[in-house]
Amino acid sequence: MTMWTTEQRQRVYVEHETLQREGFTQFSVYQNKDNDTYYASGYATSNSGRRYGLHITIPSGYPHARPMMYVTDPLPLLMSDGRKLASLGLSHYMHTLEPSSNGMVQICHWREARWHSGIMLFKVFLKGHLWIEAYEQHLATGRNLSEFVGTMAETA
Amino acid sequence: MSTNDPQQQMIRDAMQAIAQRKPGKTKLVYDKTKRTIVAVAEGSQTPRALNITADDADMFAVITISSVWLRQKWPQLLAEGSVRCHFSSWDDGDALTQCNLGPLPSASVVQAAITLAGGGASVADITLRIDLKPIKKAEATPSDFVAPDGTSYRASGSNSEQSVSTIFADVKPELATRRSGILETTILADKSVLLIGLGTGGAHVALELAKCGVGRFALVDRDRLSVGNVVRHPGGISQVGRFKVHVVRDLIFEKNPDAAVATHVLDLNFASKEELKKLIAESSVVVCGTDNRPSKLLVNQLCVEANVPAIYGGAFRRAFGGQVLRVRPKVSPCHQCFVAAMPDEASDVEISSSSDAADIAYSDLPVAVEPGLSLDVLPIANMVAKLTLTELLKDKPTTLRTLERDYDAPWYLWLNRPEPATPYSDWPPLSESSDEMTINRWYGIYFDRNTECPVCGDFLSNIAKNYGLNLDNFAVPQSAVGATPMPVPTED
Repeated sequence: MTMWTTEQRQRVYVEHETLQREGFTQFSVYQNKDNDTYYASGYATSNSGRRYGLHITIPSGYPHARPMMYVTDPLPLLMSDGRKLASLGLSHYMHTLEPSSNGMVQICHWREARWHSGIMLFKVFLKGHLWIEAYEQHLATGRNLSEFVGTMAETA
Repeated sequence: MSTNDPQQQMIRDAMQAIAQRKPGKTKLVYDKTKRTIVAVAEGSQTPRALNITADDADMFAVITISSVWLRQKWPQLLAEGSVRCHFSSWDDGDALTQCNLGPLPSASVVQAAITLAGGGASVADITLRIDLKPIKKAEATPSDFVAPDGTSYRASGSNSEQSVSTIFADVKPELATRRSGILETTILADKSVLLIGLGTGGAHVALELAKCGVGRFALVDRDRLSVGNVVRHPGGISQVGRFKVHVVRDLIFEKNPDAAVATHVLDLNFASKEELKKLIAESSVVVCGTDNRPSKLLVNQLCVEANVPAIYGGAFRRAFGGQVLRVRPKVSPCHQCFVAAMPDEASDVEISSSSDAADIAYSDLPVAVEPGLSLDVLPIANMVAKLTLTELLKDKPTTLRTLERDYDAPWYLWLNRPEPATPYSDWPPLSESSDEMTINRWYGIYFDRNTECPVCGDFLSNIAKNYGLNLDNFAVPQSAVGATPMPVPTED
């Protein structure tokens, strides 16, 4: 069982409220009462109108430890050539990290070496949105996703 | 000791014969022309006169014995007439150093016995014998050994080949004397420094602090010394394979045998947080020499919580320069303030090992290992050591107190070279730069502490205030396992 400090619980509460107040109402932070863990999830809609499920696993070391963001839907997520995107694993050119064991693509929002506790979840979801738009450009052109996320600079 | 120089051998034989009062084939005479003592070798048609200088006195082998050890063993010596001990034999027997003096013995160790006034008749199987004879107080010199009862003893040592001269080393006061001009002898003895990360920089900092007389160290690192490390690390090739904490511990003992050194082979992550928290709470100051952001931020969080000052040092890629951040919790910017204010500077790190590279590499984009030179890392390590010393001496009545005035900035920048593709690439040469920024100079730089920092500021309360949230009621929507709104990722 994870031992969350009061400050951590306050932080996830603030994250949830910030999502609602900053226009990310399609996302929420949830508490898993059974095992006292937290996650954030919701559906993002791309400019083309497609829906993508995004799930953020909130680690026990949060906010000092980096949360992980997965694309839960569609599953599997395919590349333009029909291969499973998750099969690439840790990919610089597709901005992905190690996938989950059930094949969900993990989006590289901030790498471990760039993460810090000042980054809030609404920014992580924002990067998820950017990644989805770049992914759809990849589907349309076959070019690497990294070519479309030049603005997704790892600064914060 | 042996020598291949026949001239040196003649001098040595002559001096030894005189020292032992034996008739020999070589004798010493006064040369009126040269106004010096010369050794004359008999048997040669033209007697060879050899100049003897003060340096030739060093031709005798030297035995060094720990006075502290001998005082501890004195009751046994009085009771039994002899005590046994071991000596490192260096340079083919030229120097015989008691193993008790330090942690790193020679590859050749000899058995010895110290006897009292020719006693200890049963002493056998020894290579070296040192006999102590009492001398009158009036004849005693500072080089004689003073027993616990105040009596002075003079040593005469010998092995099977030669006479040897004996030195009694009173390590603690002798080391303190060398520091006393600038550092009061005991001022750092009760100070405790936690060093996290013992690479080239961290190890160097540890040794400099040991030389200054810091009395207590806690060392944290997860790695072993590899062959590749040796070109930069103070640990040598004979130490390869050992954990760096143990290598550095022994190097500290070589410089400060009275230091208390605790070692912790520890991987720095959230799993080891509680252990690290305990170590930080016991420290006067923390030196963080790790080369990745997550570990630095973890140390920062725990140091701010414990209100312990911390110094963070790091080299830029290929050590073209480096930076040092000194954090005084709630007073100066913390490391979190730093990464938020200057993300690029905070992210420029040296990739000095394959494990560092693997940590940040992608499967389709490897990262090259690009370590810098030791001589480019050491200026940064020196600054870390200096700032650590300043923290340890803070508010103490010492000569170095004046450093507090000079080291008042939170962040220090150093450039070894104007690296291409960096903001420093067009810095002018040293010869044209009396009033411009150049390489090889320290720059102390101010930046403000972030009062809304999530580590040292009021991050949550500020957001709560802006959104009108009540932090006492921190519930979020609940979702039981299996009833989540979408499939969830699973971990192995």
